[in-house]
Amino acid sequence: MNQTNPILAAKNIWKAFGTNQVLKGVSLTVARGEVVSLIGASGSGKSTFLRCLNLLETPQQGELAIGRHRFEFGKGRRAPDKAQLALLRRDVGMVFQHFNLFPHRSALDNVIEGPVQVKNMAKAEAKELGRDLLAKVGLADKADSFPSRLSGGQKQRVAIARALAMKPDVMLFDEVTSALDPELVSEVLAVIRNLASEGMTMILVTHEMAFAADVSNRVGFMSEGVMAEIGAAEDVIRTPQNPRLIAFLNRFHQQAGTGPA
Amino acid sequence: MYAWDFAALKPYWGLIWQGLGVTVLYTVITVVAGLAIGLLTGILRTMGPRWVSIPLRGYIEVFRCTPLLVQLVWVYYALPVLIGVDMSATTACFLTLSLYAGSFYAEVFRGGIEAIDRGQWEAGQAIGMREGRIFRRIVLPQAIQVMVPSFINQTIIQLKNTSLVSTVAVGDLLYQGSVITAASYRPLEVYTTIAVLYFVVLFPLTLIADQMEQRLGAHR
Repeated sequence: MNQTNPILAAKNIWKAFGTNQVLKGVSLTVARGEVVSLIGASGSGKSTFLRCLNLLETPQQGELAIGRHRFEFGKGRRAPDKAQLALLRRDVGMVFQHFNLFPHRSALDNVIEGPVQVKNMAKAEAKELGRDLLAKVGLADKADSFPSRLSGGQKQRVAIARALAMKPDVMLFDEVTSALDPELVSEVLAVIRNLASEGMTMILVTHEMAFAADVSNRVGFMSEGVMAEIGAAEDVIRTPQNPRLIAFLNRFHQQAGTGPA
Repeated sequence: MYAWDFAALKPYWGLIWQGLGVTVLYTVITVVAGLAIGLLTGILRTMGPRWVSIPLRGYIEVFRCTPLLVQLVWVYYALPVLIGVDMSATTACFLTLSLYAGSFYAEVFRGGIEAIDRGQWEAGQAIGMREGRIFRRIVLPQAIQVMVPSFINQTIIQLKNTSLVSTVAVGDLLYQGSVITAASYRPLEVYTTIAVLYFVVLFPLTLIADQMEQRLGAHR
């Protein structure tokens, strides 16, 4: 991967909730078109780190650069204002574990909300874009359905289309298959795989080890608020070096009932 | 057995309709004003800074924790003495009823807003929407669905509460009833008629409430 042309660089990110120091200086650089998965036990800080990347959480300290957006955090630094935050988030898509679709709007209206409201796109144009994106995630026939009429997998695919509608530079996926029934996981992963093949820059927090190994260029293992190991996906998952990562993967394989491949 | 004689009310129907008109007028105006006050207060209570939300909490609690009749009498008799401004019974009633309704609506709005999952705010933020727009387009429409039953309930109570304005001689339905009773010596017929009229106005409102609740919830 081309590390000289990073689209995203997070440097030394610290974050605490009250007295609980969740992130202790996490750094990550991602090249354009790269797919990076973050794995680790719950409480390791991976979701918090992801949420720091579109500033749903504000780091206490550190630096963040995404595309043309630059932020510095720490004592004496002014917190980013709401306009700056909104501008950053136009360029960084996020998909949530619990979908967070707008229940009072149809699938299509969920998708076009961003383009119409934030980018002032004409409604007709947005609808065309929305229908294209719904088709892309395999839901062309669900445009007029309300979220309550959709399965979990379908909801998540609408949520992905909603994020893509902003034409983001980077997509963040926060455990997007964790709330799904097992038989619905693959349809969502297929959409993500498809995005990867199109060269979308993505950061995924996931518990799907096989998928992470398969779709990612790099995998990072987070433990106790630090990036304990990061490297090529194959190396990290098949031949882990860090003792904590070895223990984590063993636990994972025991629970999943699969031997280390 | 009491011999009912509703025909005795015949000369007074004009007064009764007039009283009903006043009751409905007071209800409509104070509900609209109360909603405006309640929405603003509810929003500021949930999202405003502390120096705004704490005094507003004071307002809400004062009006929720004292009887409306006491408020009405106090605003009509005591307040003019304190601020040295004469207030007509009409003004005092509109003011008190609106503030009273506002305090209850504020809590309904606040409850509705807070019932909406934080994930809805985050989903709006994640596509670059600003807070005000998320509130208007995402949170408020959902909150209103949650609020419809309490809102209708509060409005029904408000219409019944307007009967208290009769104590300061505002000519609402109940006040005209007492006038007619004094003239006709037919309290049973008069108050039965009045009760039926209140019911006839309010019962359809509950039916509309049920329908709205079903329709708004249809896509849930």
